[in-house]
Amino acid sequence: MDTATEKAPASHRDKAEALVSLRGIVKIYERGGEQLKILDGLDLEIAKGSYEALMGPSGSGKSTLLNLIAGLDRPTAGSIDIGGKRIDQLNESQLARWRADTIGFIFQSYNLMPVLTAVENVELPLLLTKVPSSERRQRAQTALRVVGLEDRMDHFPRQLSGGQEQRVAIARAIVNDPALIVADEPTGDLDRKSADDILGILEQLNRELGKTIVMVTHDPAAAERAKVIRRLDKGQLK
Amino acid sequence: MIPLKYNVRSLTVRKATTFATGFGIALVVFVLSASLMLAAGIKKTFASGAREDVAVVMRKGSDNEMSSSLENANVSLVSAAPGAKKDTVSGEIVMVLAMEKVGAPGVTNVQLRGVTDAAQRIRPEVKVVEGRLPQPGRDEVMVGQRIHRRFANVELGKSFELRKNRPVTVVGVFTSEGSSTESEIWCDLDVLRGSFAREGSVSSIRVKLDSAAAFDGFKAAMEGDKQYGFMALRETEYVKKQSEDTAAFIGIIGTLISVFFAIGAMIGAMITMYAAVANRQREIGTLRALGFSRRSILLSFLVESTTLALFGGLLGAAASMAMKFVRFSMMNFASWSEVVFSFEPTPSVILTSLTFAAAMGLFGGFFPALRAARVSPIQAMRG
Ligand SMILES: Nc1ncnc2c1ncn2[C@@H]1O[C@H](COP(=O)(O)OP(=O)(O)O)[C@@H](O)[C@H]1O
Ligand SMILES: [Mg+2]
Repeated sequence: MDTATEKAPASHRDKAEALVSLRGIVKIYERGGEQLKILDGLDLEIAKGSYEALMGPSGSGKSTLLNLIAGLDRPTAGSIDIGGKRIDQLNESQLARWRADTIGFIFQSYNLMPVLTAVENVELPLLLTKVPSSERRQRAQTALRVVGLEDRMDHFPRQLSGGQEQRVAIARAIVNDPALIVADEPTGDLDRKSADDILGILEQLNRELGKTIVMVTHDPAAAERAKVIRRLDKGQLK
Repeated sequence: MIPLKYNVRSLTVRKATTFATGFGIALVVFVLSASLMLAAGIKKTFASGAREDVAVVMRKGSDNEMSSSLENANVSLVSAAPGAKKDTVSGEIVMVLAMEKVGAPGVTNVQLRGVTDAAQRIRPEVKVVEGRLPQPGRDEVMVGQRIHRRFANVELGKSFELRKNRPVTVVGVFTSEGSSTESEIWCDLDVLRGSFAREGSVSSIRVKLDSAAAFDGFKAAMEGDKQYGFMALRETEYVKKQSEDTAAFIGIIGTLISVFFAIGAMIGAMITMYAAVANRQREIGTLRALGFSRRSILLSFLVESTTLALFGGLLGAAASMAMKFVRFSMMNFASWSEVVFSFEPTPSVILTSLTFAAAMGLFGGFFPALRAARVSPIQAMRG
């Protein structure tokens, strides 16, 4: 697999191709009257169609950065441009709307609704779109087929293994055809075998469907499978 | 919108708390529904026997028949009044008897009515269902079905004392299509007069009119002659006056008790929903991350608490339907005597009860829903 040193400059070369563009990002948390500067003047560009792994020591701010890219949180300073839109200037409800249209989420703990079946979970993001209800079920089934779960459509999360749950979550992340997929430690709760399955699916989404993916991980084996590896340290990317 | 099944299934997943909370709400709705049914029953009981084309003549200024007294000679005066049907004029004496209740300590007033055969001509719905009519001049009575066997010796074939050393025998049991008359004891007018030394007097004179429209002319004639001091009321109007205080009292007491309980049940619902929100922080955060708005989260949790409350409400309303088979006896304030009522389930009672339940869910669930709406989407990322 190629490494960051080869691929990262490639994305810098052509700025028009950048899907994600962060400039001078500062993120300060306040805790007990103390200010914690987690991100300190960070710049980042991610090319459309890239698959990037974000590594770094625990507490270095990987999740913080991913939350900013995904529009879950706002930076203390700096600009975030995604697909030509300045999301750091959107308000709460505009951000929610934007996330629904733009981002596919994959979480470490899968985060499926326990009372909904696999296919109902995958349908959830479609409820925020104009997709007619007759088409929703069909689209959700297609997404589940992509992750190889066509025979588990009507199972509840508790009836699935961890790896299967995460595959449902991936189906939910792609059902809307988002511009960007973000994943925070997607294999963190999985055994090696299931983790490899999940990484295989992500790779396939990137290679065959051209999905842009940003994945936070502290597992070197996982990071190896991305096209680009970036390391976060002391509030900066290396 | 977040689908309804998400909320309904979340409720069924936590069965124990859902049932506990639902039960509290069911209790409130039961109390409310039962008291509204009773108020409706009271109104129906009094209204059912009353007619637009019957007038009740009493002494001016009396609140009811018991406190009224007229000379017997007035009966012929009434029958001669314009609009009156001459052969259906009924002079009656009404008084109360203190009687021992079966299975309960103390005495209760029962209404006693002395009548002639004209009483039944005016009230054709009065029918003897067991035994026979009392014979004129004999120490016999018939009793309304609702009080039959509820008082000591008020039972077909048994005797009780109208007053000391004046025993009468129960020879019949009658019904009157559920009206308040079914809580009365009837005896011959002359027997009652003889027993209580009220010869030559009546309490009230009931008279059938040619038509409902004839009342105004009749009233004008009766009340116009000031020297007699008559007061004429439509029977419907009289009966309404007799029941409205009692019905209002029951309605108010029932509502007060319900509101009092409702506060408790609402706090219960609130605690349940707060716990649900706390347990589902990550689910809510995930929904927010996926792009659901604060407003749709708020709505979703309001729907959940309202569904929970409606479930309880249906339970309570269904249970209150069983009250249909219960007879309730209470003092009617207007006559100070016991009248037996039934609980009357009407569509409006059910609707009011369920609306009340929904309101409890809405208000109890409001603050927890607000808290849910404030959950940050970042919660989705936290392990
Ligand atoms: N909301 C917050 N308030 C205060 N401190 C926070 C908050 N979120 C994260 N942090 C702190 O910021 C640092 C970086 O967190 P995070 O981005 O989750 O790290 P990583 O994902 O790299 O392990 C940690 O020290 C964490 O405790
Ligand atoms: Mg993290």
